[in-house]
Amino acid sequence: MNALRVVIAVLSVGTVSVAGIYLAAWVDLLVGRAVAGLEVRPLDALIAPLRWGAATALKARTTTERPDAETWALAPALLAALAAVGLAAVPLAPGLLAADVANGIVLFGAAMALVVVAVFLQGWSPNSPLPMIGGYRFIAEGLSYEIPLAVVLIAAALPARSLAIAPIVTSQEHLWNIVRQPLGLPLYLMAGLGLAFWGPLALPGGQDLAGGSSLETSGVSRILWRLAQLLVLVAVAAMGAAVFLGGWLGPLFPGAAWMIVKTVILLVPLIATRHFVARVPTERYVVVSWAILIPLSLLDVFIAGIQALVAAR
Amino acid sequence: MGVKAALARLAAGAPARCFAVVGAEADEIAPWLRLDPELAIVDSPRAADVLLVLGRLDDEMLRAAAGVHDAMPPPRGVLSWSPRGERPVSWPPGGERPVSWPFTDDVRVDDPAQIPAACRRLRDELLSGRRASSPDTLPDIDPAPWRGVGPFGQGGAGMTGGVPYGRPLAARADDRDGLKLDQILVRVGPYLPPFPSGLVLDVKIQGDVIQEVSIPTPAAVAPDLMSAGAPSLTGERALFNAALTQPVPVADIEVARARHHLVWLAEALRVSGLEAYGRRVLKLARTMRPEAAEPVDDLSRWLRRNMSLRWGTRGVGMVSASRAAALPGGPVARAAGDGRDARSLDPAYGRLGFTPVVLEVGDALARWRVRIDEAQQALALAQRAGQSLTTPIGLVEGPCGPIGGDRSTSAALVTMLPELLVGMEWGDAVTTVVSLDIDMAEAALPHDAAVAGRAS
Repeated sequence: MNALRVVIAVLSVGTVSVAGIYLAAWVDLLVGRAVAGLEVRPLDALIAPLRWGAATALKARTTTERPDAETWALAPALLAALAAVGLAAVPLAPGLLAADVANGIVLFGAAMALVVVAVFLQGWSPNSPLPMIGGYRFIAEGLSYEIPLAVVLIAAALPARSLAIAPIVTSQEHLWNIVRQPLGLPLYLMAGLGLAFWGPLALPGGQDLAGGSSLETSGVSRILWRLAQLLVLVAVAAMGAAVFLGGWLGPLFPGAAWMIVKTVILLVPLIATRHFVARVPTERYVVVSWAILIPLSLLDVFIAGIQALVAAR
Repeated sequence: MGVKAALARLAAGAPARCFAVVGAEADEIAPWLRLDPELAIVDSPRAADVLLVLGRLDDEMLRAAAGVHDAMPPPRGVLSWSPRGERPVSWPPGGERPVSWPFTDDVRVDDPAQIPAACRRLRDELLSGRRASSPDTLPDIDPAPWRGVGPFGQGGAGMTGGVPYGRPLAARADDRDGLKLDQILVRVGPYLPPFPSGLVLDVKIQGDVIQEVSIPTPAAVAPDLMSAGAPSLTGERALFNAALTQPVPVADIEVARARHHLVWLAEALRVSGLEAYGRRVLKLARTMRPEAAEPVDDLSRWLRRNMSLRWGTRGVGMVSASRAAALPGGPVARAAGDGRDARSLDPAYGRLGFTPVVLEVGDALARWRVRIDEAQQALALAQRAGQSLTTPIGLVEGPCGPIGGDRSTSAALVTMLPELLVGMEWGDAVTTVVSLDIDMAEAALPHDAAVAGRAS
């Protein structure tokens, strides 16, 4: 019975990954076309990612002068694996959890902390200056998103008195964390953009580096890198839905349906930032993070702590 | 084979991904390619199917184009266009030694309107295997032999220094935080997408901080873009140059100025990460009319409200008043409080009530604002001007600065770059270069072209 449940959970993580990546690519195309003032064609946008993938898959994987070939090949796989581990920590419905560990929040945080390794390897391995600057940048800003991310997740775990995610979801039965801890979700989403190096925080792969960490990557590796990046966004949205929007809780429909709706509600604005917010310079982001975002996240955990103490009386 | 064929069929619906190499006389064509739904202009040759060779390239730039070509993953192809249908190659300043064209199987188009369709066709043939991938143009060898000198063989002291394979190995130096970190020497350009085509810089970077910038050789930074054969000025350039010697409708000049600034803005937005909005602006640049200027006003409001753009440009690339005074003029100087504008000297503009747009700050944000305000002002002037003509006074205010003076603004900006960029993070350096709007063709030969224009 238990084994069957795990199989179902793993399969559903796979399904959610594929569907989430596809949805993310689709939304990105649609919003991009709308912002560009072009006719929005939802059906064309459904097939466009496949066309791009086919065209890219037909290209050879090139190499550079004396790259670190092993780590270069490893980087996209590592990023995808980390994102999948993060997603596996999220319960998609009551009892439907691939990585059913006692401290799922820690597992998620640990997987997300290692994303920095994958991105740095992707930038450093090809032995090429602009990708390397991309890798450097990600290291430089790493703590600036990791600390708020970890702190707001801890704050979300406080009312549940548990580091497992299912109790965090059920602790929101009467009041979602988005209301209880109003600072949490905005800080979490900002940190999530940094983690997925997307939109305003697309620092390692910015246009000023002509693609940065993935500039030298071609063929199947390029596809994998893109998919892995979108999967990080999906994992961020799913975890946000679970710990801030009450996860599977909701009337009438089954829990999984609520979970999907809430994940999409977070995923769409995350994706859309790319078309509305310009890339933020690395140094200014780091300054703002340490001067404003990290103190705010500490305030968030402080408020959550007081609430927990009051509730315990 | 079945899978490949199926993938090729699926891929045939995608836009052709092109890396564009832009030489002289192509600046009327290159920016608009981004509007074509058949094409996707990509930032990296690694992501490209087709190398687009546009306009006339000199020796240096052609060699760099060959390097870009070899970086493209097979299957790949080359599509070339040049004005007047000749091989898009020019000759080095001496003139007697033609450079050999490195691409053996490029597809040539004569009509620039055919470029997108020809690209798609070429890409489809390549991906379906009906056409062979274009072979390497350069030998796959080290630029110089490894030199077995010193304890680790690379020729330096300890583990640093030396020039293995002809490239200086990273050397350690103090950084701004008092740490000792690797410094590496990188040559960027002439085709780095955020930079103006043809700009080559030797940059010493530590992490992402620029420690030193130099301009390698005059030939590399100022490719002899227009000296091959008769210099031919097309489109916008021809219009502004014509105004040196003959009266030209003010409305035409001002619409061309507004269009230039909007094309610049589209690119600046793209480099800032707002690619889709940049595309919207590019479309606006193509379709705008002086009598319907509201979209440009809306754009200006949107830009003013966008906090992220302010954040990325405020205080970046500061051009001081004294540096501005050393420039011949142009929007960069006007954004730093220097009010010189050749239009102020023209009585035709005086009758239209023209006053130059001037801001005091001198940072990249001020330069964005000056250009956007000038675009709005240019459209308003064009509408007021009716049939009035400019007065040929031997000096014309071009979109990048005065034309017909001793020295072009673009040339002055290029020489200013090294001192301006030192100490910046890479991202700020790119923001700065983009905000200066350097026209490499103008930097190469403005004075001579102007003199030739006056003589004729």
